[in-house]
Amino acid sequence: MDLYMSGERLEVIAEEETDTEQEQGSADEASREVHGEDIHNVDKRERVDRYGMWDKGDVGLELPTKEPYVLVTEKMGGPPAPPASTFQRFSVETNESLHFEPYIPLDEDEPGPVRRFGGKAVDDNEVFEEEVGREGPGESPGDSMVGRVINEQKAMEGCEGSESEPLDMYCTDCKIPIRAFQRLFDPHKNHQVILITKAAEEIKDDVHTTMRKLEEQITQMENFAGHLEEIFITVEENFGRQEQNLEQHYNDVIQTLTQRYDERASRLEDEKKLKLESLYSQLLDCGRTLDLSKDLIETAQEMHRNEDKLAFLQVVIPTIERIKDFTKEELDLKLAASLKFKNSTVDLSDVKQMMESVNIVPAPSAPVINPQVPNSASRTSVRVCWSLFSDDTVEYYKLHYRPVLEDSTAEDSQTPEASMIKVKETYRTVTDLLPNAQYEFWVTATNTTGISPASEKAVYMTVPSPPVVKPRECASCPSGALIRWDSGNTNPVDSYTVELREISEEWSDTAITESIVAIPTCECLIQLQPGKLYSIAVRAVNIGGPSDRSNTITVRTIGTFFHLLEDTAHPCLSISEEGFTIFYGDKDLSMSDMIFSDNTFARCVAVLGELIPVRGTHYWEVEVEDSTEFRIGVAYQDTQRNGYLGGNNTSWCMRHVVTPSRHKYEFLHNGWTPDIRITIHPHRIGVALDYDTGKLSFFNAGLWQHLHTFDCHFLHYVHPCFALDNPGVLTVHNGIETPNYVRFV
Amino acid sequence: MGMTVAMALTQVSSNKCCGGFQKVFEHDSSELKCRMKFAIYLPPKAESAKCPVLYWLSGLTCTEQNFVTKAGSQQAASEHGLIIVAPDTSPRGCNIDGEEESWDFGTGAGFYVNATEDPWKTNYRMYSYVTEELPRLINAHFPADPEKMSISGHSMGGHGALICALKNPGKYKAVSAFAPICNPMQCAWGQKAFSGYLGVDKSTWETYDATVLASSYSGPQLDILVDQGRDDQFLSAGQLLPDNLIAACTEKKIPVVFRLQQGYDHSYFFVFSFINDHIKHHAKYLNA
Repeated sequence: MDLYMSGERLEVIAEEETDTEQEQGSADEASREVHGEDIHNVDKRERVDRYGMWDKGDVGLELPTKEPYVLVTEKMGGPPAPPASTFQRFSVETNESLHFEPYIPLDEDEPGPVRRFGGKAVDDNEVFEEEVGREGPGESPGDSMVGRVINEQKAMEGCEGSESEPLDMYCTDCKIPIRAFQRLFDPHKNHQVILITKAAEEIKDDVHTTMRKLEEQITQMENFAGHLEEIFITVEENFGRQEQNLEQHYNDVIQTLTQRYDERASRLEDEKKLKLESLYSQLLDCGRTLDLSKDLIETAQEMHRNEDKLAFLQVVIPTIERIKDFTKEELDLKLAASLKFKNSTVDLSDVKQMMESVNIVPAPSAPVINPQVPNSASRTSVRVCWSLFSDDTVEYYKLHYRPVLEDSTAEDSQTPEASMIKVKETYRTVTDLLPNAQYEFWVTATNTTGISPASEKAVYMTVPSPPVVKPRECASCPSGALIRWDSGNTNPVDSYTVELREISEEWSDTAITESIVAIPTCECLIQLQPGKLYSIAVRAVNIGGPSDRSNTITVRTIGTFFHLLEDTAHPCLSISEEGFTIFYGDKDLSMSDMIFSDNTFARCVAVLGELIPVRGTHYWEVEVEDSTEFRIGVAYQDTQRNGYLGGNNTSWCMRHVVTPSRHKYEFLHNGWTPDIRITIHPHRIGVALDYDTGKLSFFNAGLWQHLHTFDCHFLHYVHPCFALDNPGVLTVHNGIETPNYVRFV
Repeated sequence: MGMTVAMALTQVSSNKCCGGFQKVFEHDSSELKCRMKFAIYLPPKAESAKCPVLYWLSGLTCTEQNFVTKAGSQQAASEHGLIIVAPDTSPRGCNIDGEEESWDFGTGAGFYVNATEDPWKTNYRMYSYVTEELPRLINAHFPADPEKMSISGHSMGGHGALICALKNPGKYKAVSAFAPICNPMQCAWGQKAFSGYLGVDKSTWETYDATVLASSYSGPQLDILVDQGRDDQFLSAGQLLPDNLIAACTEKKIPVVFRLQQGYDHSYFFVFSFINDHIKHHAKYLNA
């Protein structure tokens, strides 16, 4: 049979494929772990160097590169090594050389890579065991093929180990490498002796742990040093401010005192001047009086000397009169000015106050209000934070706030009254607010000295109320779900977040597996994994943070799940409570009782279902009775509401008509049907829609019987449609896994 | 030794087709006592696994060649991993008097019955050939899954497929037919063939009449797919009578999907047009 490849060749191909897969797998892993692994590799290299236990040449040559290491097997001329792997793991198996192996993720189902060892295929474990086995003291050399092979290999390499037993064990008590046989003798007889590979790994781990600790300590120290630096700066700054403050205060006092001195000195000067002036004028008066008296005495003496008695008598009288008058005047001998200066009391209380105020705190400066921190608010509360200048002393703050009205653009709109809270801290959680509302906050600081100016105003926002998921408007299929919700808030919110949790029977853990953020509208199409159970909830988000979680909806990604679009239902149709059974009652409504809207089927007694807008395949089933005259299929959302399903080019459906002689089945599109006879009336009709292949197929689900397939290019998404041509009932079955046989259409 | 010789196959031709091989073999038939050819399509999957087998029975005048050259079945068979075996339609070269006289009786018109009348009864055992000897041969020489076989055919072969399925409940996982002779007892072709091969006793005829067999069928659920061209001259000539079969199946609750295909005639162009649907129909049950 030359058509088939020989078994040998096939095996080679299989091996190559396996290797490629592994290479890809490990490459992925490498890229993920390369960050952390770098450190490890360096560590190991250093340690290896330090310990100096193995061939330096090998280590130096191979370790720093990321090139694939040549496998031991290749040295023996076996088959070529597996393709290069960028991620490697090495293990130290002997003390002669370091062996690198491509890192192969452990998979218990698959055997490790098979290598040829002296013509015999062995896997990793076997190699390892054989090598370990050699270490037994009683073992005769070269008793197994593999053993021989390894010996040969050693001989080829010409390592020192060929002369004496290798140091292949490690005594954990003495902390030295020993030879295997030594563990049977003193001093290691009762010691714990382990394989050197393991010992090296353990010690490496220890060293690594210690280094980790040291690294942590270094980080801590560095942080502390940084902190100290900051403290230095702060102390310096504080000192500067304090010094400035002191200087200013004392300058003020000195200035005031100087002013006072000047004032008083000039007042004293003025007083002296006044006193001297008045004394001087008194002196002048005295002089004048003296002069006058002397004149009078001279006049009297002259008259006295006059002999002529008559003449004397004639003139003497007026003079006597004048002297008499003069002497009548009393002499004013009082001092015009006091010798003493007025010693007015000095009011230095203000200076005193100033002096005192050198030591008291200044009134605080305006605090700085912080912008809102994300996720710090709740529905009815916000946490407002502010800060003070570090040299301010504040006894308490006054936090003022008032709601910001959305449409307060007009001036006439009333500004709501502000509320105020006294706060000791520099933060406050303000409660009893409205959800999803903006509030403006400002703050003043007060101490014994006074009250600061107000801070800037900051707008904070409460988080929204949780949205309300509308299960009747949600739809799903194996690859996704369409979730719709009500905002739950009257004001608009910034966005919505949908949170998915996979519900698994294996894990009770209900951690959120995925979040979809920044959804602007009240619906979201989510991609899901098939065959899983998800719990989905929504949060509304504004600047204040996310709301509480909405009600959850459970979505099982098995089959397609949809609800009926009840607003499309013909007035004669009624839909059951749970929403999947459609009734067309016997009693005809009169036209006047029917309420039609633009979206209602007006002629065909039909209703649409809302299929999730996801391409791919969808399947649902419809349960009917023998006598049910139905049309079921799909239609574009905008299919004519005043036409019959299948009667136009926007709908495709299977129709059942009961004639007196037989059941008739039509597969209608654009008013045309192929001529198809079906011998068994289907009670459960499977409808399979495949957008990708453009097929719409109908089945008798009970029999797996394929009834008909429409080949159609769906330009848009379609919706399931259901109609009853005569009074009857049909039930839609949803969320059914697509049967396997549907593939064969 | 005789068995070994009887089972020996000679490859007549082999052509790579749709990733697999379309081959023709020749062998000595023990049932038909003559040299017989059959065509077999081996899908790519047959190289590595056992595959289900769809037996195709051709119509009047055909050999094993018509189906393999005209029906275009290989693509779908390749995709679904089905082996398709297409035997000849009658024994050949048996030197029976009148064998070559007419196109609707004798050579090329075996009608898939076991003849009871002389001179036909020695060689004209097509029913046993297609239901017993051929499957044995196929299962022994090819990677065929003996548990998974189905049957289809065209015209007389459609009749053959239907009776093989209805007479052997459970043996064939699926059955389908193109323009089958549904009720041979009631049409000229059938009456000529049955009286020739089976004699005058109509109760024997009933054991080879699909409509009669359907009305007495009991066994595992069958799913019968029938395609019929509306412009088939033999339909209007009353040779095919599908309505009788549909009525019987409706009565007996045997699931049939009967598709009257507008504009199609009785030719292999018609078969070619719907062969994919039929292969999928068989694959659904064979690959389940």
